[in-house]
Amino acid sequence: MYLQYFLLLAAALFCIGIYGLVTSRNAVRVLMSIELMLNAVNINLMAFSNYLDGEVIKGQIFTVFVITVAAAEAAVGLAILLAIYRNRDTVDMEQFNLLKW
Amino acid sequence: MGTVLAALWSPGWIRRTGPRPAGYLNLLMTFIALSHSSLALVQVWGKPAQVFSWSWLQAAGLNVTIDIKISALTLGAMVLITGLNLLAQLYGVGYLEMDWGWARFYTVVGLFEAGMCALVLCNSVFFSYFILEILTLCTYLLIGVWYNQSLVITGARDAFLTKRIGDLILLVGVVALLPLSGTWNYDELAQWATSGAANPQVLTGISLALIAGPLGKCAQFPLHLWLDEAQEGPLPATILRNSVVVATGAWVLIQLQPVLACVPLAQTVMVTIGAATALGTSLIAIAQVDVKRVLSYAVSAFMGVVFIAIGTGQTELAHLFLLTYALAMALLVMAIGTVIYNNITQDLTQLGGLWGRRPIPGLAFLLGSVSLVALPPFGNFWPLAQLVQNLWIQDPKVALVVIAVNSLTALSLMRVFVQIWGGKPTQMTCRSPEVLWPMIIPLTVMVGLALHIPIILYQWQLLPASLDFSANSTISLVVATGLGLITGAAIYLSPAIPKPVSLPLPYVQEFFAKDFYAADLYRYTVVAIVAFTSQAISLIDRYIVDGLVNLVGLVTMVLGQTLKYNTSGRTQSYTLTIVVALVTIGLLILWPLLQLLIISNP
Repeated sequence: MYLQYFLLLAAALFCIGIYGLVTSRNAVRVLMSIELMLNAVNINLMAFSNYLDGEVIKGQIFTVFVITVAAAEAAVGLAILLAIYRNRDTVDMEQFNLLKW
Repeated sequence: MGTVLAALWSPGWIRRTGPRPAGYLNLLMTFIALSHSSLALVQVWGKPAQVFSWSWLQAAGLNVTIDIKISALTLGAMVLITGLNLLAQLYGVGYLEMDWGWARFYTVVGLFEAGMCALVLCNSVFFSYFILEILTLCTYLLIGVWYNQSLVITGARDAFLTKRIGDLILLVGVVALLPLSGTWNYDELAQWATSGAANPQVLTGISLALIAGPLGKCAQFPLHLWLDEAQEGPLPATILRNSVVVATGAWVLIQLQPVLACVPLAQTVMVTIGAATALGTSLIAIAQVDVKRVLSYAVSAFMGVVFIAIGTGQTELAHLFLLTYALAMALLVMAIGTVIYNNITQDLTQLGGLWGRRPIPGLAFLLGSVSLVALPPFGNFWPLAQLVQNLWIQDPKVALVVIAVNSLTALSLMRVFVQIWGGKPTQMTCRSPEVLWPMIIPLTVMVGLALHIPIILYQWQLLPASLDFSANSTISLVVATGLGLITGAAIYLSPAIPKPVSLPLPYVQEFFAKDFYAADLYRYTVVAIVAFTSQAISLIDRYIVDGLVNLVGLVTMVLGQTLKYNTSGRTQSYTLTIVVALVTIGLLILWPLLQLLIISNP
């Protein structure tokens, strides 16, 4: 019965991430929320690999890949953020609504 | 024939020769037609009628034939038509001297002549309708010859629409006749009507519709205003219109008389309309100042007498009357035309004192007047006397109406004569030369015809054989005529009466002078209703029908304009949209599973 607890924790973390992703005004905090969501996914993968796939542990392999990709993604995300910051001198998400109707 | 050939000389096509050959060619054609019909008349005189028939249209279950009847009567009518056309066209050569529109004028007059000849030959009510409509169109074109004048345009419009309404109701009757009788041939219709096979109520309705066409054609109440306004057209055409064209409706009505004779109501209606029109318009004619209009109301009045004759079943008399009437009226209009041509004005109050210098038109007018009213031994006396004598036995009231109409018309014609030829010359008439020969020749030929018509009638044994001259009716008729003539002469020649004569009741005079306010009556009833309805329908079309379709476009446009604000430009709102959509889709997909869970864990 422990699997459910892990999954619930991961789901809660994911939801917290989504909440942060949608509500944050600081772009860095949006990236942080994305990291939270990815980590929630990692918890899920680890829990599944531990309780359902103890022999081959494919979930752990996935987790390693996700961490790697997440690091690269965060790096590129921060690079984009710096590029925007150079032009517009702000990281406020509310100021980035230029591409509307 | 002349129609097509004359059109070649319209100003646009042959620019160099001018318009005159059109008229000459038409005169030639009319002369050929007159000679032909005269020769044919001599041939068929005293022989039974010959009937020809061609198939015009054969559709499933319907065979429309062109029926032609060659009899002494139809050929006689053709001689009358072509003869009057010849004289009127020759008159036109003089009258339209200073006019460029010969091609148009003679083209339409030629078409008129052809139409009327076709009408008298035709023996089928369907083709009579057909030709009546063509004649209506011709009337429109002929009144509108001088189309740069605004009154001409309104007059032509009213003439077309008023006659069109009558013709359309006639069409209703014509169409309803076929399924009931199975034929449009006049002879077969007469047999069918007398056989009594028809439902009386249906026949009554059809008969009333059949009366409505000639009602408009003959300018009877209440469709009489067009003839008054049609006096705006060129005068040579007026000769034809007043004498012959209005008689086309009467001709059709006479042909239909066997059908109408079976319906007592139709006869009553005809006599009532005829009597009302005759009395009303002869009163109106006295109160006119425009000399052409005096004559136009006299036309309506005498067509009313024809209606009375047909309504009481005296078709022979109606035919005879149409002949004598046409000659007399043509003579009157021709005489008036020569006066108008040289004195410009048509206002009776501005004319006067022409007897010394213009005796020939004066004599012609006088002869036309006595030929039109019942004064023995001139033309119209014979049919009118016979008519009154017959009516005296059938319905004395109607006979009195005819006598009164006769007397009033005599008064109004005498008034015209005295106003123009009597009295002192006015400013408009102090220099009035006689007109040139192309107008005087037809006038004098017409005088000869009018003088000879009683003798011709006697020769042809068309006169009533035993007219009882001692009959009260005949005597009162002649006395009434004389009374009218003498009263007219006395009032307008006497210096004791101030000259614009005014009645003690000015509004009565106004009432008759304005034609019973018929124009206003039309304007406030029929025209107002139609105008209001068409405006309402136009508004409904523009705002409701068009609006509904435009609303669809407008809604899509507004939706697009509004929905674009979903694209807010905020990345986070897109994310929210994605999340909400995913959760919704997930819930929808998992809904059966969730239901299972809820059921299994109560």
